[in-house]
Amino acid sequence: MSKKLEAVFTYLILAVLAVAVLFPVGAFVGAALSPDRAGRPVPGVVEWSNFATAWQEADFARAMTVSLIITCSAVAGQLILAVLGGYGFGVLGVSGHKVLYPLIVLGMMISTEAIIVPLYYQFRSWGLTNSLPGVILIHLGMGVPFGIFWMRAAFRSLPGSLFESAELDGAGPLRMLWSVALPLVRPAITTLLLLSFMWTWNDYFISLVFLHGDNQPATVALGVFQGRHLTLFNLMAAGGLIVAAPVLILYVIFQRKFISGMLAGALKE
Amino acid sequence: MALPLAFYAIVVLVPLAQSFQYSFYAWDGVSAATWVGLGNYITFFTDPVLQSTLGHVLVLILFFSVLPILLGLLSTALITRRKLAGMAVFRFIYFLPQVLTSVVVALVFKRIYGPEGALNSMLRAVGLDALTRSWLGDFTWALPALGMIGTWVTFGFCMVLFIAGISNIPTELYEAARVDGAGPLREFFAVTLPGLRAQIAVALTLTITGALRTFDLVWVTTGGGPGTATLTPAVALYRAAFVNPQVGKAAAIGIVMALLCLAIAMAISKFSERD
Repeated sequence: MSKKLEAVFTYLILAVLAVAVLFPVGAFVGAALSPDRAGRPVPGVVEWSNFATAWQEADFARAMTVSLIITCSAVAGQLILAVLGGYGFGVLGVSGHKVLYPLIVLGMMISTEAIIVPLYYQFRSWGLTNSLPGVILIHLGMGVPFGIFWMRAAFRSLPGSLFESAELDGAGPLRMLWSVALPLVRPAITTLLLLSFMWTWNDYFISLVFLHGDNQPATVALGVFQGRHLTLFNLMAAGGLIVAAPVLILYVIFQRKFISGMLAGALKE
Repeated sequence: MALPLAFYAIVVLVPLAQSFQYSFYAWDGVSAATWVGLGNYITFFTDPVLQSTLGHVLVLILFFSVLPILLGLLSTALITRRKLAGMAVFRFIYFLPQVLTSVVVALVFKRIYGPEGALNSMLRAVGLDALTRSWLGDFTWALPALGMIGTWVTFGFCMVLFIAGISNIPTELYEAARVDGAGPLREFFAVTLPGLRAQIAVALTLTITGALRTFDLVWVTTGGGPGTATLTPAVALYRAAFVNPQVGKAAAIGIVMALLCLAIAMAISKFSERD
């Protein structure tokens, strides 16, 4: 087979796959812009107001605020815990490291399903169900394993001599973390931030279990909205795009970091 | 240092231990719990409805794991064989479903599979009207239809994983294969596939446990129906825990799922490290 023909075949197959991936999304975007309630695209007519209508009808302003509060608090907290834990394990060395670290990494393999039931009943007895602090606390705890794994690797990639010389200069552990280590691991922190934003924002299961009514974040509210308004497909599609938008925008800007981060997470062993 | 550990212990470790404890009791979440020993576990493997969830998982594995890995290998081979322009664009597109919220993915496909959806329109357009149906409401087709969503979501991830793996294969191996006169197919089976063994093992682990744990997609598209045709262990767990509370049973399902995930991960890693 000639090189040219091979290239044509390659592009052809890849393009078919690309269409298969994009078509469902495209149809959804088309529906979101359609004036037709059933979401059939009407040629030449683009109904931008669907977004505004969906925003009001489904009370997305409230749901998006809830999502934003949960996500920002959880991401900020997860980053702090990850930096502290990763620094402790990667640089300072912790007594009992050999037992503790595997115990923490084990957390990456424990699925939510294995802990959700007692978690719910425990939090209920503490009055933390249907409360944003409760859900944020859960996201914090569940983010610890990956966060520590990720930041420990980042800190360990720094040369040890760096810390030795800082120590000779009389820097304490916290000062070393703040002014020596942190600036150097900034790329790792950015990736962790993006991943943790995406995972928290896109969460459905935990929010479905723990949050009801006015406390529902955007993903759960969207599910409720579609259950209630099966006939208003164009508005629902518009709502779906609103809910997906924050992560999509970040993906478009930082796609390399998303992809490399998720791969590194997957290849943890 | 103690701070992250404290959060982790409260949210993950303690509930995990409690899950074990709960799983030996029958409890409706309100009145007193009664000890049933292994009863909940026995129920999981003998109750026909719960048993069927494991059968569904096997079907889903085909769609969530086998198909995406095959497609991923195909597209990886195509993308990496020659340096062609525009490959980054394909990578960007294929990975896109990974970052979409599962609820939105579910809504996108609910529409496509609906009576007036794109799938039926296409079938009508080519004169196959007899095949049209409400795909997610069909006892036979709901599960494969659901599975295809998983294929759509997962394949880009597998591909990106394999592309990363290929960059670790020494180029001399490819050169040697070409000197030996290997065509694209031979080259793929002799160099690429063995070189990607570790990545394939990771992809298998993640996608099989993903199939086992599927919740969001099922809950939003079919809720486990029609009947129990698309019920997965995670949906059964949710129902047992929060819809008609049988807390012990739910905890047992969770523990079984976790153990299965662990067993799958260990079996695959053992298998991939052999010879």
